[in-house]
Amino acid sequence: MTARQYVFPQEGDSLDSLAARELPEVEGAAQQLLSWNLHLAARRATGLLPSDIVFTEPPAAR
Amino acid sequence: MLDLVIRNGLIVDGSGLPGRHGDLAIKGGKVVAVGGRAGDAARVLDATGRIVAPGFIDPHTHYDAQLCFDPYAFPAIEHGVTTVVPGNCSLSLAPLRIDQRDAFSRMFRLIEEMPEAAFDAGVDWRWGEGFGAWLDALAENIALNVAPLVGHSVLRMYVMGAEAQARAATADEIRAMADLLRVCLEAGAIGLSTSFVDIDESYRPVPSRWAAPAELDALSAVLGERDAVLQIVHEFYDTELTIARVEQLAELSLRHGITTTLSPLFHSDANHKGVARVMAAVEAARARGAAVWPQVQTRPIDISFTLDQRSLMLLTMPSWWKVASLRDHAEKIAAVAAGRQALVDEMNSLARRPNGGLGAGGFVVRDVVHARNNDLIGRSIDDIARERGATHGDTVVDLALDEDLGTWFIRESIGHNNSAVVGELLAHPYVHVGASDGGAHVGSFSTFGDTGFLFSEFVRGTKSLTLEAAVKKITLDPATIWGIKGRGLLAAGNAADVVVFDAEHIGRGPEIASDDFPGDGVRWIRRQEGVDTVVVNGEITWSADDGYVEGARAGQIATRP
Repeated sequence: MTARQYVFPQEGDSLDSLAARELPEVEGAAQQLLSWNLHLAARRATGLLPSDIVFTEPPAAR
Repeated sequence: MLDLVIRNGLIVDGSGLPGRHGDLAIKGGKVVAVGGRAGDAARVLDATGRIVAPGFIDPHTHYDAQLCFDPYAFPAIEHGVTTVVPGNCSLSLAPLRIDQRDAFSRMFRLIEEMPEAAFDAGVDWRWGEGFGAWLDALAENIALNVAPLVGHSVLRMYVMGAEAQARAATADEIRAMADLLRVCLEAGAIGLSTSFVDIDESYRPVPSRWAAPAELDALSAVLGERDAVLQIVHEFYDTELTIARVEQLAELSLRHGITTTLSPLFHSDANHKGVARVMAAVEAARARGAAVWPQVQTRPIDISFTLDQRSLMLLTMPSWWKVASLRDHAEKIAAVAAGRQALVDEMNSLARRPNGGLGAGGFVVRDVVHARNNDLIGRSIDDIARERGATHGDTVVDLALDEDLGTWFIRESIGHNNSAVVGELLAHPYVHVGASDGGAHVGSFSTFGDTGFLFSEFVRGTKSLTLEAAVKKITLDPATIWGIKGRGLLAAGNAADVVVFDAEHIGRGPEIASDDFPGDGVRWIRRQEGVDTVVVNGEITWSADDGYVEGARAGQIATRP
């Protein structure tokens, strides 16, 4: 069992900058990323925290 | 002449091996002989028909505040608990600068649900600032052993001040935290705790959540210098995030040679594959040689609450949370009356959420203020609402307003209540018993009696564990995992922490209200069932016949020689 692929934010990252780095060829990458990370969507006002896990692939179908 | 002999009991020594009949001999606070027939002693206890086991170790507690005013951590000891680990989840009372006490207190009181009056009346900060000074103060006045964690949030506050909740640390600040952690470990900390989930009273993430992975890595390296433990509270409500945290812990464990533990791991029938997937991740980490130990609590999740004070239940209802946060009681009642419809709507909306099982219809009236409402005790809001032709929210609010918000409600068996599955989980060799939260959440549920429940529900009930396996789960296993040396096993030379109990009757007792804390307010506790005697470092500290022994103060800082 391995976790879904994830990264931690880099210093100064916003969701946009992280999405642009991790999903450079995806249109609307930030929104895509947010849809895979509902824990971040639920607290958007806080922004990314340095300890946040950010999944960079969608959940597996179950 | 021996100090104490416990004669003719079935000695279940904590190793997991089958018990054997014989005597336990104690002198100078240490076990001197296990089994056989012991000689004369100043005091002899007859344990015929009883189990003689090592004192139980509770590795996930928040007794930090309670121990400042209650050396017994009442009623933990009477349940057989002789060693506790406070300082979990990134929060310890030290090291902390004097001007940070207010901010920390607000955080601790909120996260651990400790009433403000009790905290303020009981925590006198007599030790000043340092971790070692705090332990010195504790050591003077404790009836059970303490193996403390130092909190990551507190380390950040000490080094970074208000910036601890604003940004990642610089390289210099990380070095300063690492140095401070070394000082705390040297003074007697058993490890470091951190949190990935908690928020303060302003809904701001606690300081530890602002730490970049490199910071936690640097602190874990310090833990590795001393074979100390890393405890985390993770995103326990989300399986995917939990699995990712298991992998993060596995990396830290392998890189620094440390033991790591995450808590809590709950089973939910609504996500019945979740725990299995997490355990598969734990097994994969184990296969790589990593030490990652999930903590599983024995009890199901029940939450009691009023609308008068902040509680875990009200966290799901922000408008109610704001009302309960008001300091003046009359102001609260006026706020409910003024905002009534919106508050009712919010309560009714619970049933439409993904976790609709928490809807107000499932609330049960636990206790009432007025005798005229006595017939409602024990009835569900759904039942009462049907009878009255009202919505669930209206029914709750009408009753609460009729009683000046003093009505107690309970939401029972929210989760972790499938004993067959939980029993199987508890028996898993990579799981240990923890997450009691002892000393916290005092108005939401009792954190006492989890050890008794292990025997009543999972040894006698589901038969998921043998008696010997259950004893090992709460003695030698936590002692080994947490590095609590010389305890958890009845063996010559080890500390004489002992519990004598009746295997057929040990349980957790009913949950009852208690007003014993300083200040006003009620907390929920359970009194022991089936425990005869508890010995701490050779001193009888509690017995069924005599209760708590006045002046018993044999507790030690378990990490100090």
